[in-house]
Amino acid sequence: MMIIMKANATPQQTEAVIASVKAAGLNVHLSQGVEATIIGAIGETHSIPPERFEGLDGVELVQRITKPYKLASRQFHPEDSLVPLDGFHVGGEEIAVIAGPCSVESRSQIIETALAVKEAGASALRGGVFKPRTSPYSFQGLGEEGLELLAEAREKTGLPIVAEIMSQVQVDVMVKYVDVLQVGARNMQNFNLLRAIGETRTAVLLKRGLSASVEELLMSAEYILAGGNNRVMLCERGIRTFETSTRNTTDINAIPVLKSLTHLPVILDPSHSTGYSEFVAAIARAGIAAGADGLIVEVHPDPAKAVSDGRQSLKPEAFASMVKQVGQIAQIMGRNLATVSEYQKTGWA
Amino acid sequence: MMIIMRPGAPREQIDAVISAVEGHKLTAHPIFGVEQTIIGAVGDGHYVLKETFEAFPGVLEVQRISKPYKLASRQFHEQDSVFEFNGFTIGGTEVPIIAGPCSVEGRTQILEVAQAVKEAGANALRGGVFKPRTSPYAFQGLGEEGLEYMAEAREKTGLPLVVEVMAVSQIEMMEKYVDIFQLGARNMQNFNLLRALGETRTPVLFKRGMSATIEEMLMASEYILNGGNHRVVLCERGIRTFETATRNTTDINAVPVLKKLTHLPVVMDPSHSTGDSGYVQSIARASVAAGADGLIVEVHQDPPHAISDGKQSLTPEAFAKMVKQVKAVAEAVDRKLVNSHVAA
Repeated sequence: MMIIMKANATPQQTEAVIASVKAAGLNVHLSQGVEATIIGAIGETHSIPPERFEGLDGVELVQRITKPYKLASRQFHPEDSLVPLDGFHVGGEEIAVIAGPCSVESRSQIIETALAVKEAGASALRGGVFKPRTSPYSFQGLGEEGLELLAEAREKTGLPIVAEIMSQVQVDVMVKYVDVLQVGARNMQNFNLLRAIGETRTAVLLKRGLSASVEELLMSAEYILAGGNNRVMLCERGIRTFETSTRNTTDINAIPVLKSLTHLPVILDPSHSTGYSEFVAAIARAGIAAGADGLIVEVHPDPAKAVSDGRQSLKPEAFASMVKQVGQIAQIMGRNLATVSEYQKTGWA
Repeated sequence: MMIIMRPGAPREQIDAVISAVEGHKLTAHPIFGVEQTIIGAVGDGHYVLKETFEAFPGVLEVQRISKPYKLASRQFHEQDSVFEFNGFTIGGTEVPIIAGPCSVEGRTQILEVAQAVKEAGANALRGGVFKPRTSPYAFQGLGEEGLEYMAEAREKTGLPLVVEVMAVSQIEMMEKYVDIFQLGARNMQNFNLLRALGETRTPVLFKRGMSATIEEMLMASEYILNGGNHRVVLCERGIRTFETATRNTTDINAVPVLKKLTHLPVVMDPSHSTGDSGYVQSIARASVAAGADGLIVEVHQDPPHAISDGKQSLTPEAFAKMVKQVKAVAEAVDRKLVNSHVAA
């Protein structure tokens, strides 16, 4: 941490700051310039907030040098982390393609979609049963009944299940059914939920908040990691910008940025990041070309009749074409699409 | 255009709007609902502004249905526009790569870089001689002297030149030297400059403003097209967002969105859109995977000592590596780089 003193700071004020740095267990490196005095605070600073020094008299500015997260950082864990899902790993050579409807709507809808996405090359099934809808009057999801249906779809296809958790009261029921707990964008900084998920040992897909910086995303991941759950996958799903021709703006930069800052796998959600099915394939290809470890894509057998997110959902045929294109890009990147293993097809799992 | 009247707007107000619509040679289709009346204005309305009706008494809101641009739209020109340059085309199957330093710093520097990028597979040379720097104290460019060096570089390598024009007063002199004018992000809505570029017949590499929407970008390109200069190449170079981990945020969505809305070629500038040479290759690959028609990339033989944009400039070796990767991606999306012999 660098503490920059005001130009007119008194020697007493500087002394007081130095004492405070030492009290925090850090070493002091003092550099007195012509115009300003700078105090370098050296040591394990990730757990010390800059606020601790910002309020002291004579302090102009406090700049953090080291990252405020540790367990999520590549410095702490130089190797890529692999998150195991039934039969394959996310974060290595294999690219995960998670697909399915926005919401589980009915038994026939989810089973039909699961079979279709499996056939097209998906390696996991998504489907929401608790839905964070913008309007309280919109469909809110089937709840545990939906989880039963997802479990049945898994039995039939072998696809591991990704479903969103909205509240810590849902943790117990969700971990009985799902393979991956999805934390939605709107809950990225629901710290109680993050802590509760950190206590589980179920894999997590942590979505970036609509207006969250990459650093804030990593800080949220840190909450889960700090609880001892190290199976965290990060997901870029588009950010809020001034551009209105798409639902969100895909922050494609976030992919190489995250890959350099963290060892955790990075997944792209081109459905939400564009909001329009016609742009999903292009952005899916771009995501893999940029180095993403996987994709999560909304697929619906009849998008026009979907209860939610129909505009951004691919038909199974369009999804199959996307998977082919993505497979070609993956190959160039020296990777390959993950496949769920044969034994699961029979529902052994 | 849809003109939505306030609930309870009296008949006289509705009639006044209808006659205004008809006064613009549009057909009015009023829909009388239970609470509100909506007037559809149908016809070739791209030149009629929303503002025309917004101030009428009783009008709640005006919504545009058709695009406010015409010449740039795919509706007007269904086929992709393909422009031919010395040694390559843009907008078709070929994916050309424009490369070079941010600024022309001196004769040796530009001749060296030109040779290096040419060898690595570049198809055109970029280099700024008038620099729109944030600080007035920063290096402002070599001016015409720089253009002389650029011309020499073209002579030695055969690479066409892409150089930024900053003012109307520079056009005449620059036209003698450059093959493609670059219109910088900060000048995207400099309408006098746009009109003047429309009068020339020199192609324009048209950069998106830092906070410009796609629609504003297309409207601004319409200024140039409307002057009769139809060779406009659009360039996404990152937009301003709340994210500070990168210099800008690459709006990768803009690539397929623009390809849908317009027939003009779309190129990506991953150097400015990331601001960090460590991310340029990834975003270059991603852009071509998303359907971009070309790339413009900053390359410098000694980035730490570059006068400008050193942090985002690739070394010639890193650029050569990027070209190889982009070539593979281009082929995966049924395109190809121009120099098929390069990077085998």
